[in-house]
Amino acid sequence: MREVAIIGVGAHATGQFTEKALKDLAYTAIWNTLDDAGAEPSDINVAYVGNSLGGLLTGQEGVRGQVVLQHSGITGIPVINVENACASAATALRGAWLEVASGAADVALAVGVEKMFVGDSARTISALSAVSEVDLSEMGMQFTTSYAIHPKINLKGKMAEYGWTSADFAKPAVKNSFNGSLNPLAQHRRPLSIEQVVQSRIVVDPLTLFMCASISDGAAAAIVCPVEMAPRFTSKLPVRIASCVLRSGMYRLPDDGFTDSATVSAQAAYEEAGIGPDDLNAIELHDAMAPAELMLYERLGLCAPGEGPRLIDEGITTLSGRIPVNPSGGLCSRGHPVGATGLLQIAELVWQMRGEAGARQIEKRPKVTMAQNQGGLLLGQDSAVYGVTILKT
Amino acid sequence: MNILHPSSIFVPTDAKQTPCLLGARCDECATVVFPKMPVCPACQTNGSMREVQIGRTGKLFSHTIARFAPKGFVAPFFQVFVDLPEGPRIFALVGAECPVEAGVLEDGMDMRLVLEPLADTPENSDLLTYKYVPAGRPEQRTSGHA
Repeated sequence: MREVAIIGVGAHATGQFTEKALKDLAYTAIWNTLDDAGAEPSDINVAYVGNSLGGLLTGQEGVRGQVVLQHSGITGIPVINVENACASAATALRGAWLEVASGAADVALAVGVEKMFVGDSARTISALSAVSEVDLSEMGMQFTTSYAIHPKINLKGKMAEYGWTSADFAKPAVKNSFNGSLNPLAQHRRPLSIEQVVQSRIVVDPLTLFMCASISDGAAAAIVCPVEMAPRFTSKLPVRIASCVLRSGMYRLPDDGFTDSATVSAQAAYEEAGIGPDDLNAIELHDAMAPAELMLYERLGLCAPGEGPRLIDEGITTLSGRIPVNPSGGLCSRGHPVGATGLLQIAELVWQMRGEAGARQIEKRPKVTMAQNQGGLLLGQDSAVYGVTILKT
Repeated sequence: MNILHPSSIFVPTDAKQTPCLLGARCDECATVVFPKMPVCPACQTNGSMREVQIGRTGKLFSHTIARFAPKGFVAPFFQVFVDLPEGPRIFALVGAECPVEAGVLEDGMDMRLVLEPLADTPENSDLLTYKYVPAGRPEQRTSGHA
């Protein structure tokens, strides 16, 4: 396999963009990425386009990738449409990486785009529920519920097991809202206090409104090529993909003794990259509900079970800490346009690694970083998709 | 009334029967799953799964009150996971006889299955599904026992 570098990233801001269609959001991300990489549409050999809800929400059920790429002037190449719930963009990146690593293509484009504001939030919520196995969504299962009580994470149960409080749950939201307040691309730019998060209205007990990622429009993209080809396009620091792991969820039985899938996928990414959690300098992770960040700390190997809140209390994962987590603001502040999120994470990490992150720049430029993206729910008591990418300069 | 997921529910046809779920048990490794699957998820044997009646009772694993409802449901409503004595841990809703209030349900409590409409909404009031209620409630009403 060839070593692959990210030579360009770009994004459309996240938030509500009523007047913009899927292809308009993607256009901004794609051309910001082409310009960032110093590449032309004719340089792109192959493209993977991630999107999750466009079929249900925009009516464009098929060929969404070809539609958005044509709008951006990219035609006549292999285009692969990727639907993998909230991990669609991580999956698109893996496709692009594999094309270049395998030698099948030299320059590959990965796009993630989502249009969630369609004038009817009930329809958007229903579409979001439909990215889980339909047997569950038909019975009223929602993502908020799943984070609260689903056996794979069971945040409500963790309050009893670990003694975590509502204030502990608020800590990641507060930390990330500060980071997001510094990010001009972020959807929610108001720094929040513990009290504001705890006292916002309850969505699903024990999760409050400000602990939950909201509906969002957005897009992001990345261009990859072999490391040695990078200088042909750009003088910017090439960011290497050290591992790019994708796993489907497992069928879980109560007390089956299996390691949970977030841990398994992270361990696979560490192994493939030849590093461990202590080597990471920054992480973007999937905090669709803020307290999930506390669980992911332990599942990514950053701390022992139950110790998540301590990492924030001691400032370890804050922007000025040893391993800043979600410097972009994460899913709750930066925003979670579901099919774009994985590449928004990658764009943030590349900017941080190059020292281009502006007011939220991590002081000591990170050299080794991780993006962790997941999505969907299966009847087998697990998420459907886990994507973990490790980047190195 | 139509049935949501009819292959997953046994609906009584006479007063001697009680409703239950229809799961599958693996002949090779005895793993029980719900809903039914053709391949055992534990030992990956194909063709070893036999239909079994399960879930007349269970123990509450976790529960929450959803304050916002997706289309076709009415908030607030309970959403729960129930551990069935046969093995599976399943997602379920809670029967209408159980008031939607904090403190009514407690993890670990004994539950029993009832059949009733999915939700009291135009979309779902004509769709029969399984739900659970606390087993110890004094009325001890069981659907199908007139």
